[in-house]
Amino acid sequence: MTTTQAQAAPDVRRTVAAARTRHTLGRVLATFARSIAIFVPVFLVATFVTFALRSLSGLSPARIQLGEEATPEAIARVEAQWGLDRPFLVQYGDWFDGVLHGQLGTSWTNGADISTLIGLGLGVSLSVATFALLIGVVVGFALGTVAALRRTTWIDRAITGFVTAISVMPAFVVGIVLVAVFAVGLKVFPSAGYIPAEQGLGPWLAHITLPAVALSFDVVADVARQLRSSLVAAYRENYVTGAVVRGLSPRRVFFGHVLRNGLGPALATLGLKFPSLVGASVVTEWIFGLQGFGRFANDSAQAGDVPAVQGVLVVSIVLVVVFNLFVNLVLARVTPASQRGV
Amino acid sequence: MSTLSEKLQTPVEDTARRARPPAPVLSVRDVRISDRAAGREIVHGVSFDLTPGRTVGIVGESGSGKTLTCRAALGILPAHFEVTGGSIELDGRDITGFSPAEWTSLRGSTISAVFQDPASYLNPSIRVGAQVAEVIRVKQKAGRRAARRRAVELLRAVHLRDPELVCGQYPYELSGGMLQRVLIAAAIAAGPRVLIADEATTALDVTVQAEILDLLADLRERTGLALVVVSHDLAVVAQLCDEVLVLRQGEVVEQGPTQEVLHHPRHEYTRLLIAEHEQYGLDRFLAPEEDA
Repeated sequence: MTTTQAQAAPDVRRTVAAARTRHTLGRVLATFARSIAIFVPVFLVATFVTFALRSLSGLSPARIQLGEEATPEAIARVEAQWGLDRPFLVQYGDWFDGVLHGQLGTSWTNGADISTLIGLGLGVSLSVATFALLIGVVVGFALGTVAALRRTTWIDRAITGFVTAISVMPAFVVGIVLVAVFAVGLKVFPSAGYIPAEQGLGPWLAHITLPAVALSFDVVADVARQLRSSLVAAYRENYVTGAVVRGLSPRRVFFGHVLRNGLGPALATLGLKFPSLVGASVVTEWIFGLQGFGRFANDSAQAGDVPAVQGVLVVSIVLVVVFNLFVNLVLARVTPASQRGV
Repeated sequence: MSTLSEKLQTPVEDTARRARPPAPVLSVRDVRISDRAAGREIVHGVSFDLTPGRTVGIVGESGSGKTLTCRAALGILPAHFEVTGGSIELDGRDITGFSPAEWTSLRGSTISAVFQDPASYLNPSIRVGAQVAEVIRVKQKAGRRAARRRAVELLRAVHLRDPELVCGQYPYELSGGMLQRVLIAAAIAAGPRVLIADEATTALDVTVQAEILDLLADLRERTGLALVVVSHDLAVVAQLCDEVLVLRQGEVVEQGPTQEVLHHPRHEYTRLLIAEHEQYGLDRFLAPEEDA
């Protein structure tokens, strides 16, 4: 190699490296921008429909506060206090402005600030849901990977059978069994209640373990099955033969080539799983006596507390969309193919 | 051990190579391959010797057992298939007793392969440069930076324009001919002694095919690589090979030096192949113009 080339090479390399960094950054930004572009209309439409629920339901704070025998004048007076006599779009504008500032309004039943109430419940629910997700991801990945590596052997069949069995167990049944065995029988975990993490990590974990396990079954089953089938499919791809022929070890082929391409569907499943995790938390929170987000949603709905239900929906929408945004960003990192819509 | 890039800079002297008869790097003796699931023999005895710098061509229609023979030499026969007779010696060692770890260390550094449809043999979510560099890093224990530098050199060696740029691109950003060059670069990255090209030019258009064949011939001249060229196209074999095997339904119907087989085919199937080439090849349509 001549000297001029030797001098030129690092410059070229730097330019190419910079271009590549820009390329990657651009891809992440594009994914981010696209997700935001989806998020904004979804949020607008969803909040609008949510807000329209009050008019559609015909519920009124006056009925809750004054009872069934209230005079029309009293009802009109109370509704005026809540600002419900104003035009619909004005009410929506006001409420939406509050939502953007984190103010979800005041409860019809007890006049408490809904943002505060949801904040309290959300701590409980997110602890449980995150832990459940963690268990689901770790156990699901382990089972799915082992089944794929030992495909068509008895290990694969045993795992597939086990996973199918747990996938049909509803969280409330699992919850009750877990309480009966581990809380009442073996007395290793508390049967109910919640202790915030600030009061001790041990007790916090002890209180959220059983509900998280109960919730995680579904995630474990879905992740394991999805991962197994996509890994088995990836193993059949030619690029695996290519990597083998180039003399790469089985471990390297698995981690560097198979897992990387098989991960996408399992990650996408996680994105779909999160909303149902939030939904299923209602039942488990009842069983484990947790004052969580799901329970709050349920109580508010039964009481006809429309602003509280609206708040719950807004928070759910944000949770689900943000989680999906996160999953999409990870997906964009793992497989450029998913980006091209292939 | 000399790396490929060093070999590329110091061409092997043709005369030196011819002077002493070298030992075969790949020696296939009466190999028979059977499908255990169906309980029948697919390949009925294939034999050839391959010495450094030489090329053996295997011709035949699809399903004649060309690919199975190659896969047997690479130790990647599909499930249910196994070598039921004969022997394959790689660099003087019988492959029957190889453990998976031995195979892993031999593949890439002693024997390697490129295939038809190059796009599918590269990982779609990894940049091509990283895939070439991975081989160098793993097989030659090179550092990340050194491996990357050598990957660029290799991409330049397979005549890719702007190898620095290609290095950072994903397979879907490259054309079929470029991908086949990348695949060849990855295959020769660890300096193998045998390269199997299984229908490596089949999916490419004619000009690109000619370029790839030139590249393979060039690599053979410069590094003493031994080639096994599998094709259903006699033209490919005629351009590149010293010796030809004609396979039909798992049987070697004709075997010998390329010129001999092409000019004096003895078996009727070979005659048919050549006749078809004369009948359907472009030469027939070009001939009148030249006469006029």
